[in-house]
Amino acid sequence: MGRTLSLTERGPATPGRHSDEVVIGISPAFGAFFSKTIVELPHAEVLRELLAGIEEQGMRARVIRYRSGSDLAVIAHTAARYSGSGIGVGVLSRGTTMIHQKQLLKLSNLELFPQAPLLDLETFRKVGRNAARYAKGESPEPVPARNDYMARPRWQAKAALLHIKETEFVTPRAEPVELEVAISLADAG
Amino acid sequence: MLVVGVDIGNSTTEACVAELGTGPAVYLGSALARTTGVKGTTENVHGAERAIRAALTEAGRGMDELATVLVNEATPVISGLAMETITETIITESTMIGHNPDTPGGAGLGVGTCVAFAELPGRVAGEEVVCVIGTGVDFEDAAAGINAATARGVVVTAAVVCADDANLIVNRLGRPVPVVDEVTLIERVPLGMRAAVEVAEPGRTIRTLSNSYGIATVFELDAERTRMIAPVARALVGNRSAVVVRTPAGDVTDRRIPAGSLTLHGERGRRTVGIAEGAEAVMATVRGIAPVIDAHGEPGTHAGGMISQVRDTMSELTASPVDEVRIRDVLAVDTFVPQRMTGGLAGEFALENAVALAAMVRTSQGPMALLAEELRRALGVEVRVGGVEADMAVLGALTTPGTDRPLAVLDLGGGSTDAALAAGQVHSVHLAGAGDLVTKLIDAELGLDDTELAEQLKQHPLAKAESFFQLRMEDGTVRFRDEPLPTECFARVVVLGEHGFLPVPTSHPVEKIRNVRRSAKHRVFVVNAVRALERIAPGGDLRGLGFVVVLGGSALDFEIPDMIAEALAPYGIVCGTGNVRASQGPRNAVATGLVTAHAARPAEAAR
Repeated sequence: MGRTLSLTERGPATPGRHSDEVVIGISPAFGAFFSKTIVELPHAEVLRELLAGIEEQGMRARVIRYRSGSDLAVIAHTAARYSGSGIGVGVLSRGTTMIHQKQLLKLSNLELFPQAPLLDLETFRKVGRNAARYAKGESPEPVPARNDYMARPRWQAKAALLHIKETEFVTPRAEPVELEVAISLADAG
Repeated sequence: MLVVGVDIGNSTTEACVAELGTGPAVYLGSALARTTGVKGTTENVHGAERAIRAALTEAGRGMDELATVLVNEATPVISGLAMETITETIITESTMIGHNPDTPGGAGLGVGTCVAFAELPGRVAGEEVVCVIGTGVDFEDAAAGINAATARGVVVTAAVVCADDANLIVNRLGRPVPVVDEVTLIERVPLGMRAAVEVAEPGRTIRTLSNSYGIATVFELDAERTRMIAPVARALVGNRSAVVVRTPAGDVTDRRIPAGSLTLHGERGRRTVGIAEGAEAVMATVRGIAPVIDAHGEPGTHAGGMISQVRDTMSELTASPVDEVRIRDVLAVDTFVPQRMTGGLAGEFALENAVALAAMVRTSQGPMALLAEELRRALGVEVRVGGVEADMAVLGALTTPGTDRPLAVLDLGGGSTDAALAAGQVHSVHLAGAGDLVTKLIDAELGLDDTELAEQLKQHPLAKAESFFQLRMEDGTVRFRDEPLPTECFARVVVLGEHGFLPVPTSHPVEKIRNVRRSAKHRVFVVNAVRALERIAPGGDLRGLGFVVVLGGSALDFEIPDMIAEALAPYGIVCGTGNVRASQGPRNAVATGLVTAHAARPAEAAR
């Protein structure tokens, strides 16, 4: 039994005006060409947990797709710039995630989860929760970042291939688009 | 003739260089260095040498020009600290979940029988249940299950959840109910028992379960049973959410740990006081028999443990046998320490009462002659030991503009609070408890377990980083910045330290930290300032003191001198932070006093 993700484009993304929202920016091929992360976590579940983490904190979430690049810092920062609270989360198809704030320099960040193979659904929930708590002006403890020195040699080749593939879906100069998210249980059998 | 006055203190060594001629001494430079080793031992030589060289450099003079080094007779007192909790909250038979999850769901009060989520389909219509949702149940499934049960006529009045899912579930319910989440030990919630779940609106606290009669109403308790659950209600006061499960023998006890008693020997007799009676009772006893000659704790109790802890440290520091250590003053301070409740289901914390003790120990006269000899060898200059520390401090304090005799000196240090009064001859006292105790209180009360951080919190004001360019100071004013703050400071409480901003890694709001900081300073410094001045004032009346000059490292604090001045205001005394030689602030008083005394000596001899 798994969940399916359906993402419907709803025109160009616009900056939000509500200070209780967090914007999630997904990469060009997230939930489209790709449907799973580097460790086969379904994108439907990843997005669901991020959204749940934000909702549990009583905040709203909006999802946009960044189309003109596959650089996580740029995606996360764009999400933050479009977010009414100034807090955004960026996610790549392979699972690498970052929490960003609009006043920060692009190459900086609030929290970065660089080792995609180590991210599980529980972590994605916590990322959503922390992003929402930053948006509320609270001081959350950073999500404990796991680190495995073997992850790099073991996954680097696959990560590189996934990155090359993701980059193929980049549309130069395309504006981010607003997405409507529907996550439903797939019919058994 | 070039002389250097050196004051070796508990934590810093201060020096000042002066040229003595026919007129008054001409001060050329001052410096301070960290004291090396325990005050009064030969290990101090390195720190002293460093301070002397730095002062000479500032004066632009060489070591070869130096005629005499003047060292004070170090007061042979050092202090020790100990802290013990004296209450304990124990939950038996899982009666209560009083923790405060960040985001409980729904609002209101729900009462019913505890039923596991998996058992929900088996309940019949009309039954009032509190749904207990364990690990591994998805929030959508949980909400669907509750909605289905409600549709069948089962009255689900509330829910208790293991995961952080309360709002996610409530948002999906047809009829929202109060939900308490993050109950980590959910498998210990007794099923089949009646339970009450209460969640307050954001910004409010629970009203029913924090009231004994509220609980009595919910569970239809008689007077005897109500008496038994009273501690439950008390433990839940101030929470935004709570769960109370009624079990046959469930109980919450607020136990006082047998803390033992303290026996104080004084010049005016000997008295025993129980530590559990609190700091005020202990201090009243100390006042009754003061000055203290020695103190003992009841063996096998916390009091005994604390006193022997202090004795052991002191005997180690002074290299003297434990039974020769004499405790000459005690300061007891009431405090509270966050402690995990025994028997809790969600890692609940309770603030337990604790007592902190600072004790002052008089050591055998330090090997000053040895120290002087070592220093002479290191520098190749004549070294003179002379002048009682308190006398020298008074002489130094008198160089503060606007002072006159009778002058009282209040020296706020790291380990002790000292006071001296110059009216005819100098009379001085040394009391236990100063800066180090304040640090310890801040550390314990905020549950930091980080002395360095507590020290920073003690010394500097706070701010909240509201954005990367905006800081809200603890007094409410806003400061804008051109440069963004470091990322680790974002959304955090920061300390405005000397070397920039230091993020505070706790979830305590600014107000809480500020209150703890100010109250710790008040309980130690204000209490000790009044206590010390009472001891030296003629007839114990503070009005007899003309001028009070506050000196020492803690006098540099941004709020302690103000707090003391405020506390002394009713007595009509001139009280303020010293400004030695109109330039040194509260520092360098003893070193300056040594030079002043030395300069006066030849003149007296010539007469």
